[in-house]
Amino acid sequence: MASVRTAADRREDGPEGPDGGWGWVLVAALFVSTSLVFGLMRSLGIFFVEFVQYFDESAQAISWISSTGLAAQQFFSPLGAALSNAYDTRLVVMAGGCLAALGLILASQATCLAHLYLTMGVISGLGWGLVFIPMVATVMSSFTRRRALALGVAFSSIGLSSFAFNPLFQLMVERYAWRGALLILGGLSLNIVPCGALIPTRPRPKDAEKVSAETASSGGGVLRRVSSYLELSLLCQRSYLTYTMAITLLNAGYFVPYVHLVAHSRHAGFSQYQAAFVMSAAGAADIFGRVASGWFSDLGHFRLIHLMTVCTALAGLFIMLLPVSTLWGSYAALMAVSLLYGFCSGTLTSLVFTVVPMVAGVERMMGALGLLQLIESWGGLLGSPLSGLLKDVTGDYMASFVVSGSFLILSSLIMTTLPHYFSCTDPPPVQGPSQEDKCEGLASETERMNQTPCEWRDEEALSHCRPPG
Amino acid sequence: MMMQQRVKRVGAAQEGESYFPLAGGHRLIFIIVIMPDSWMHLCSLVLLLSCTHINAKTVGQTSSPAEPVGQLPADVRSVVLKGRSYTDHVEVSSPINLTLQCTWTGSGSKVDNVTGYWSKDGEDIDNSHTTLRPENQQFNLQRMFTIKDEESLGKYSCMFGNEAKIDFVLAVPQISDVRDKPIISYVGDSVVMVCKMDDAKPSPKTWLWFKVNHTEKEEIDATAEPQRYEIKMDGKVTKLLVHNLTHLDSGLFHCGAVYAISTAMSHVELKVITIYEPLKPFVAIVVEVLVLVAVILMFERSLAKKRKAAASGNHVGDTEHATNAPAATTTTTTPQAEANGLEETTSTRQRKM
Repeated sequence: MASVRTAADRREDGPEGPDGGWGWVLVAALFVSTSLVFGLMRSLGIFFVEFVQYFDESAQAISWISSTGLAAQQFFSPLGAALSNAYDTRLVVMAGGCLAALGLILASQATCLAHLYLTMGVISGLGWGLVFIPMVATVMSSFTRRRALALGVAFSSIGLSSFAFNPLFQLMVERYAWRGALLILGGLSLNIVPCGALIPTRPRPKDAEKVSAETASSGGGVLRRVSSYLELSLLCQRSYLTYTMAITLLNAGYFVPYVHLVAHSRHAGFSQYQAAFVMSAAGAADIFGRVASGWFSDLGHFRLIHLMTVCTALAGLFIMLLPVSTLWGSYAALMAVSLLYGFCSGTLTSLVFTVVPMVAGVERMMGALGLLQLIESWGGLLGSPLSGLLKDVTGDYMASFVVSGSFLILSSLIMTTLPHYFSCTDPPPVQGPSQEDKCEGLASETERMNQTPCEWRDEEALSHCRPPG
Repeated sequence: MMMQQRVKRVGAAQEGESYFPLAGGHRLIFIIVIMPDSWMHLCSLVLLLSCTHINAKTVGQTSSPAEPVGQLPADVRSVVLKGRSYTDHVEVSSPINLTLQCTWTGSGSKVDNVTGYWSKDGEDIDNSHTTLRPENQQFNLQRMFTIKDEESLGKYSCMFGNEAKIDFVLAVPQISDVRDKPIISYVGDSVVMVCKMDDAKPSPKTWLWFKVNHTEKEEIDATAEPQRYEIKMDGKVTKLLVHNLTHLDSGLFHCGAVYAISTAMSHVELKVITIYEPLKPFVAIVVEVLVLVAVILMFERSLAKKRKAAASGNHVGDTEHATNAPAATTTTTTPQAEANGLEETTSTRQRKM
């Protein structure tokens, strides 16, 4: 996170790197905040039934509330990353928690559907965007060897919390109606603030850049600072762009089974309980996959990017097998494929983030993650309506599942085009540009990459290989 | 639209005739009409069931023979009983001439005859006792009833002596989807209450809503108070909207599905609460958050103070050591630098994490 790494830092890290200690406290904080962001988003369906009845609107119009919230979270992620780079991550996360809570509290007073879009969608989404990526980046920078495991453990909260939130929200709605339940939910979201308070404060980083920016003209200086906070220079980097495109395609196909699996199971002739059980089983396998992938990838037997490619391809394959498994009407086959799919999709979630510092470097991780969230959101925006359209056109889910699975397989193929893919060790991370130009010397960067002959896989150790500058 | 009319002319006989099974998917109806002599000159018809009205001149069992009963549709319902008793539920939504047929296969012990009779809601129907003789090892009993109003609905039983009984429970289509938990709403807010008839059952002619005030059911007139009440109905679904709720609106609301013959009722409970109800857990959570944040900040401040005290303590110790060893002047800088480095390390540790 800190761009200025003193000699003391490097000496202290050494081959160990920061691992454990306060890092695990931050993992717990990320666990809680992720459950309050994504776990909450997933359980909003209980409110939607009430909204349909109260506002007399169609289910589709109501479902736009959570779509707006998710889109806002992903859209404002670079903003959260930039603010964390410019100011203090702790303040950004605490402010995000307050905004998310404010959105829900205001939503409890809504009198029309537009109010809900604005409050639950935009305001809470902005808050969530200011919370998620900064916290993930903080946790990732607190670990080196156990990064994937830390993220896997933290992200398992999404699945676990939706098990807990569904009955809880149901109870709240029955006792207090949706208005009271939203008010209490706003209060629950305020718990993100103490999670943010656990992040240690640090003095304003990038002071060197600020000094040089002040000497330059005000207009150009501000722009330069903003672009450096947003890490826009990453957009000129081929490896980052490749990776982002791969993840966008992954997003296009990733959510489809979650949305359509229950409907597809019912379509295949299974009862409502059987379909719901398949979904729950896939969710449980997902939780297990998150932690398992984190633990396994940290063992270091394989490069993260190789693991990522394999898991993506497998997930795509299993998505394509889902409609095939129901062709013969066998419940066991459907259950087996769903479990495998759930496991693979769980492995992906923590790997997606852990590969980013390999591609963009640890210093630019915050901005890299923010931009990744923003760009990959387009995949989700395209993927879900496309699958719905395919289902309407063809009449069943075969086409939409096959297309989604192929998106994932295409994504894994794109990942193989990353530079130095087929080498056995990780390449050294690419350096950030100097202050003068945004896209200075892309060619010189790749030259530098090819020149340094580094044998160590550990990224922190690679810091010794970094050319000065 | 087949209409098979069979005119049964029964003499002073106690036994009836059995009819052919109906064609297609229609119900098999055995009717044994036992008609007293006095009704001999009237026709009784067994009609094949069809969806349209069938003009039939039939006899009502209560009215005098000379009076024709309107043009009611007719339907037949039959049950074959092998055991001791059976209950059949019949949904009746409009006035109808319903012929109920009972067939009993006997109890095993060979009996010569058995007294068959009808009863409604536990009370025997007069003039319905007949002695039955087995026919093809079966006892058949049938009677036509005119179901024209709410009082005609109920439980009709055909009894074979004391041995066997078949109950026909005649009722309007019931609303099965009843919400057992109360609907919660807030003072000043609006609420929507829904009553839904099952898809499989016929649509009611209209819906009515009632409010229970001190065990009295009062009909809600939406036209009288349009700002407060709004009733929407759409076939099998009805919605009651109540605006500007007050505490007095709490209580039981009844919705009635009005059919030609009777009304089916269901209920919904409304509870009106103030905003202070959810505010209590909300304030509790906010207090918890504030306490947590305060604890974390205080913990951090105390940690920082400890570190400062430790760092400055080392610094003082090193300078003292330096002054005590004047010969090693060159070495004084190292411990100091070390102390600075230590401080730097601890602060960077804090910064980095």
